[in-house]
Amino acid sequence: MLRITGGKVYDPANNINGEVRDVCISDGRIVSQVEGGRTIDATGMVIFPGGVDVHTHVAGAALNFARAMIPEDHRRAAAFVHSPNRRTGLGGATPTTFATGYLYAGMGWTTVNEAAVPILTAKHTHEELRDTPIVDKTCCVLMANNEIVLDLLEAGELERAAHVVAWQIWAAKAYGVKAVNPGGVEAWKWGKNAGALSDPIEGYHKVTPAKIISSLARIVDDLHLPHPLHLHCNNLGAPGNFNTTLETMRVLEGNRAHMAHLQYHAYGGDDWDTIRSESAAIADYFNNHSNLTTDAGAILFGNTVTITADGPWQHLLYKLTGHKWGNLDVENETGCGIVPYTYRPNNLVNAVQWAVGLELLLLINDPWRVSLTTDHPNGAAFWRYPEIIQLLMDAEFRREQLKKLPAKARKRIVLPDLNRQYTLSEIAIITSAGPARTLGLSQKGHLGVGADADVAIYNENPDIARMFAYPRYVIKGGEIVVEEGEIRHTVPGRGFVVQPTYDTQIENYLRPLFQQYYTMSFDNYPVEMERIAGAEVRELS
Amino acid sequence: LGEVKNRADLIIYWGGNPAECHPRHFTKYTLTQKGKYVPNGRKDRTMILVDIRETPSAKAADIFLQIRPSKDFEVLTTLRALVKSQPVNPETVVETGLTVEQLQDFADRMKRARFGVLFFGMGLSMTRGKHMNSAAILTLAAELNAFTKFVTMPMRGHGNVTGSDMVMRWTTSYPFGINLSRGYPRFNPGEYSTVDVLIRGDNDAALILGADPGATMPQPAIDHLSRIPTVVLDPKVTHTSRLARVHITTAATGISAPGTVYRMDEVPLPLRPALRSPYPTDEEILRRICEAVARKPPWMPGTNGLKLRVK
Repeated sequence: MLRITGGKVYDPANNINGEVRDVCISDGRIVSQVEGGRTIDATGMVIFPGGVDVHTHVAGAALNFARAMIPEDHRRAAAFVHSPNRRTGLGGATPTTFATGYLYAGMGWTTVNEAAVPILTAKHTHEELRDTPIVDKTCCVLMANNEIVLDLLEAGELERAAHVVAWQIWAAKAYGVKAVNPGGVEAWKWGKNAGALSDPIEGYHKVTPAKIISSLARIVDDLHLPHPLHLHCNNLGAPGNFNTTLETMRVLEGNRAHMAHLQYHAYGGDDWDTIRSESAAIADYFNNHSNLTTDAGAILFGNTVTITADGPWQHLLYKLTGHKWGNLDVENETGCGIVPYTYRPNNLVNAVQWAVGLELLLLINDPWRVSLTTDHPNGAAFWRYPEIIQLLMDAEFRREQLKKLPAKARKRIVLPDLNRQYTLSEIAIITSAGPARTLGLSQKGHLGVGADADVAIYNENPDIARMFAYPRYVIKGGEIVVEEGEIRHTVPGRGFVVQPTYDTQIENYLRPLFQQYYTMSFDNYPVEMERIAGAEVRELS
Repeated sequence: LGEVKNRADLIIYWGGNPAECHPRHFTKYTLTQKGKYVPNGRKDRTMILVDIRETPSAKAADIFLQIRPSKDFEVLTTLRALVKSQPVNPETVVETGLTVEQLQDFADRMKRARFGVLFFGMGLSMTRGKHMNSAAILTLAAELNAFTKFVTMPMRGHGNVTGSDMVMRWTTSYPFGINLSRGYPRFNPGEYSTVDVLIRGDNDAALILGADPGATMPQPAIDHLSRIPTVVLDPKVTHTSRLARVHITTAATGISAPGTVYRMDEVPLPLRPALRSPYPTDEEILRRICEAVARKPPWMPGTNGLKLRVK
């Protein structure tokens, strides 16, 4: 039992905006009253619901491949010395699993969504998530280049495809469906890409990226999944791609969708020399279409490593930069590319990217529909979120930073004209209440009675980046895990899984396909329930 | 490996002998399987073997290229040049044991392939040049992607070595050669690799799991293992268990103990035991050792009444 008293509470989901009031906790949940137990005096502090990350890459085959590729980065990384209440590990661009839990909790985040899980290696992802302490986890399974699904779309069998998708979600013990560069990753297996939404993809006659997107969005809605289709659009990172993004959003009319890391999809221009921001056009369309949610995918200057299922894009990035390049093909399902990368303020393209991420956050007028992310580790490591919060809350600081950009870049962006400053309540929305709603996690992102007792308590501080980087207390599931900015106690996190209904006969259809095309037996393919730590299954109607 | 099964029309093995070392590789993944885009199986695929001697794998190959020992790096570099249509000096090429014509044909085949794959074994990665050879073959594969689809993969073996790699990576960032003596992971192959630590005699105890260094490591390393308290967990008597202070017999993973094994392409596979064993699993023994250690007072200052003395 715990009572937090004297702090200013920011709980936008319950219309509480900086009121001084008590927060009471019992048995891991928020309650209206407690008798006895510890009291935390939070006078002079602000109280937020625990942060929720709607799009991050913290576990699985691709990230683990990236870890092996960048030992030079690890040497610069923060070291976690083991102690009786903390395991050893390293921070950096690709923190180890235990360090990931400590770093997220250490800045007040308590729930994360691992955004890209191939079914074939989902066991691996869940093993890493099991070793990621404190935070609760959901994950999205990669589907837009799955050949069984694509073959069914080619044959026009949408209903059967829906059963296959439902079966696969449950096989991977996932929470949502992710689509990455629909059709493009499949084409990459022949060294090609899919750029135009209405052209058939390599190896198929009828299936186009547009068809994959609209079919999957419809299937996800028909299955009543709590989280809409999680979509990484075609042509990521390419100058002029905002047209593809607008076209994609039009294809999605009538269905829900979450547009992942929108920053990478909002560029104008024809090539790297003429690249410019088109965030205004994207935000304008987005503001008028409430079926869509998004996350920023903002970048910050510095070293990181880019990891995406978008194999063809990563090959291009390798050719552009001459950096190391890793590629993984996942049989019949998806692929992945990895390239270490440095974002530089004096580079025109990077400067435009930096501005576009912030512009989208400032131009999208409904904070409930845009979440704070860096597409970790692609834009920057997640532990740099406080720097973005500072940029959003302080227009003066933003103007200072703008001076570092090349003059050429300042003409290609709209950021210098934007004076909006986020309020604390809006920060609570884009870091917690909004992403929790987008993920359909009703017990997260707020401090109403019955909610999970995930609470972050920050010392009020004019230095905003510092304030959000070092919370005074973090409470996860009613337990105090961070005190005075230090991990004091670790608790295991939970894993949220959905179980959509499907016709069990679908296994008779899938089994022979597996014998033919896969190198793993059908019975070994699904993830066993025992592998999910702290599993909480949500059945769907 | 699934993509190789379904798509690869050019399969190259370099410095490895899969017929004897990975006997299921040809039949399960690479050569004889009928794939989605190679419907005729073996007929749709070409196999090239590069090695320093004619191993039994050569019988399976369409083309066998015998190169002189320690010339892998030179051959790979020549191929990189030929792929990019750069001139090469025929006199230096001859020293590798192959002719320019042979290598030109090899390069052309790689560029013509729809989906090519390079598998490389320890004959490449553990001979003269070592990691430089691996880097050269990885670069060749990367550069071939400017022309067609090309991938490469090391032929790993020795039980679940890939699985060990994976777990080390997500817990410490590094695959092997890790030193935790400062309380956080440090990595330096050549300094912290097991063989180097043993030869220097840095460690004063050893716990050995799923390996038999007594059979494979150099004598000074083995001598050190027999000097210090060495504990071996193994289902069988091994060279190492004979010199160890303690040998705990365990159930054999995959036969009588469950678990997860990572295939060489990093795909996890569940193991379901077929038999029961009277012996405990590795996991249970380690858990009990951890519990016993946890009952001891912690060594860290501040946690057991000890204080760090700071001047």
